[in-house]
Amino acid sequence: MTGATRVLIVDDHPMVAEGIQSILETYSDIDVIGSLTNGQEAVDQVQNLNPDVILLDLNMPVLNGLSATEIILERLPQTRIVILSMHDSSEYISTALSHGALGYILKDVPTEEIKTAIDTVMQGSRYLCTGATESLSPKTQDGREPLTSREQTILLELAQGKSNKEVAANLDISVRTVETHRKNIKRKLGISSTAGLTRYAMEHGVLQGTGVGL
Amino acid sequence: MGRWMSGLRKILTLNYGQKIFFLATIPLLLAAVAISAIVANQSRETAEREIALLERQLIEAKKAELQNYLSITRTAFVNIYGRALPDDEGAKLLVTQLLSAMLYGQDGYFFVYDYDGNNLVSPRQTDLITKNWIGLTDPNGIPIVDELIRIAKSGSGYHSYDWTKPSTGESARMVAFVIGLQDWRWVVGTGIFIDEVLDTVAAARAEVEARIQRTFIYIGGITLAALFLVFLSGQFINIRERRLADAKLKELTQRIFDTQEEERGRVARELHDSISQILVGVRYALELARKRLLAGDERAGEHLERGIDHLNGAIQEVRRISRDLRPGILDDLGLGPALKGLIAEFANRTGIETEFETVVFSNRLEADAKIALYRIAQEALTNIERHADATAVSLKVYGHSSGATMRIADNGRGIERQSKDKQVDSGLGLRNMQERMEQLNGTLLVLSTRQGTVIEARVPLSRMLPPQGTARATA
Repeated sequence: MTGATRVLIVDDHPMVAEGIQSILETYSDIDVIGSLTNGQEAVDQVQNLNPDVILLDLNMPVLNGLSATEIILERLPQTRIVILSMHDSSEYISTALSHGALGYILKDVPTEEIKTAIDTVMQGSRYLCTGATESLSPKTQDGREPLTSREQTILLELAQGKSNKEVAANLDISVRTVETHRKNIKRKLGISSTAGLTRYAMEHGVLQGTGVGL
Repeated sequence: MGRWMSGLRKILTLNYGQKIFFLATIPLLLAAVAISAIVANQSRETAEREIALLERQLIEAKKAELQNYLSITRTAFVNIYGRALPDDEGAKLLVTQLLSAMLYGQDGYFFVYDYDGNNLVSPRQTDLITKNWIGLTDPNGIPIVDELIRIAKSGSGYHSYDWTKPSTGESARMVAFVIGLQDWRWVVGTGIFIDEVLDTVAAARAEVEARIQRTFIYIGGITLAALFLVFLSGQFINIRERRLADAKLKELTQRIFDTQEEERGRVARELHDSISQILVGVRYALELARKRLLAGDERAGEHLERGIDHLNGAIQEVRRISRDLRPGILDDLGLGPALKGLIAEFANRTGIETEFETVVFSNRLEADAKIALYRIAQEALTNIERHADATAVSLKVYGHSSGATMRIADNGRGIERQSKDKQVDSGLGLRNMQERMEQLNGTLLVLSTRQGTVIEARVPLSRMLPPQGTARATA
């Protein structure tokens, strides 16, 4: 790690984005390389900007912070993502972490804490806002681990009978990434075959309404 | 076929009153038609039997009459005939004269033919006399004289045929009784017209038909009256139903207004009592800081600190109010995490043991369905906290091939056992839940016993999001 940490701010509230930017600019070891207003912009530009850390607002139009986190990490897996949020409940925090975020801070923390969070994730450690502890994932009805939004998307595509290649093309990601997600889905659900995934989706009522695969 | 189906659908989509009307009238009409048919048929059968009997009796009476006439007559000429030889022309003449003179009634007379078919006596139609009538038939082709001769040869008997009525000159049915005088080779007989009998029978038939017609009219009248009655009650039910619906709607509207006003009042109060007071405090702190800063006072930073603290308090307050108004977690993370937060908070607040299960999928429900289920859970937990006296609550969400179900169960004392004055309150809550589910075409099941209450809200598959566009669904 040479030079300043490259930080990208993504928040649809300009006052918040500006505020954070001006505070971060007071630190010499931080270089704010951009400020975007929603998740889709972040996904589109992340490869050009190549940030070290992204401060990502959770609640944004077009594409929210959780879904954006997963897609950004598919494209640039080494990016450290810190979720900025107004919500301090453990459900938010555990969901953010399960989607791949490394940090989670509230917007109303003292500004020094934002710097601490950036420094901590740059060292490769998790940073959760004070008071918040990493809670257990919610218990599901059949004892399985909840799927992330990306995994859910991919499961539904696969359950409709699409191949890895088709899913990759649809979602504009590599076949390898689809394969990784697929492995995770199968591990989480404890199902080994694609037919099993289709059946599971159907039995839980998430595949119907399309006329596909029925 | 298509039209028929759409017609059927139209009937199926009739309103309650119209359905009752159809349900009541169709069987009524069918019954009326069936009764009419059976009554008509049976009356006709009975009448036909009676008429046939009457006809037979009348004709028998006529026949007996004929036989009497002839036997009286026979005694009149038997002395002459008995003593005469077969070729005693004098005796024959005497008998013909005797018979010619014996007229009775309007059309009654005696006739005589010899076995060759020659007429010897015909007092009413004298032009027949001395002519030969072998081969004579009536308008229907029934042989007359030949048959009479045949009967006479064998002794005596009846014959029936059409004959010209002397009094009117018209053809009418007649019954004749003949005897044979074998020594003289004579046919002696008399006949009686039975057209009156036939007229009587026809009149009886007409009477029966008229009676059946009257019965039809009665049944029709009764059916119409019944239909009218059913129609009236249908209308009555309709009107009553509409009035009830109107009243319900009015009440609902009023409740919406009340709730809205109450909510606005609460939000306004919260904003005024907490946020604006805090913000005023911030302004004082900032003004003080500016004053001290301008004066070069060291303590300016202290006031800035206090201002920032106050602001943090304001942010927390806004977060709380906003979460109370509408849980953002529902939109951001979906129903499962929102319910988990809800029940965790419930467990913290009440100390009641809780159990929670959700599904591996998130955000697969329409926004309306998510909110409805969340509010139902909220309402149910409030009821449990206030009235149920439960020590354990379980909240489960699961998806299945016909939709999604949320099940809230407690081990409290059940809804009925809750104190009477609270009944209205919790009843209203249940009605709210019911209405929310009805809006979604879902169902709400409430099972309440002394061992606890189970509330099951079921959302149909149509309220679940299709798999397409899933990348956006979570956005």
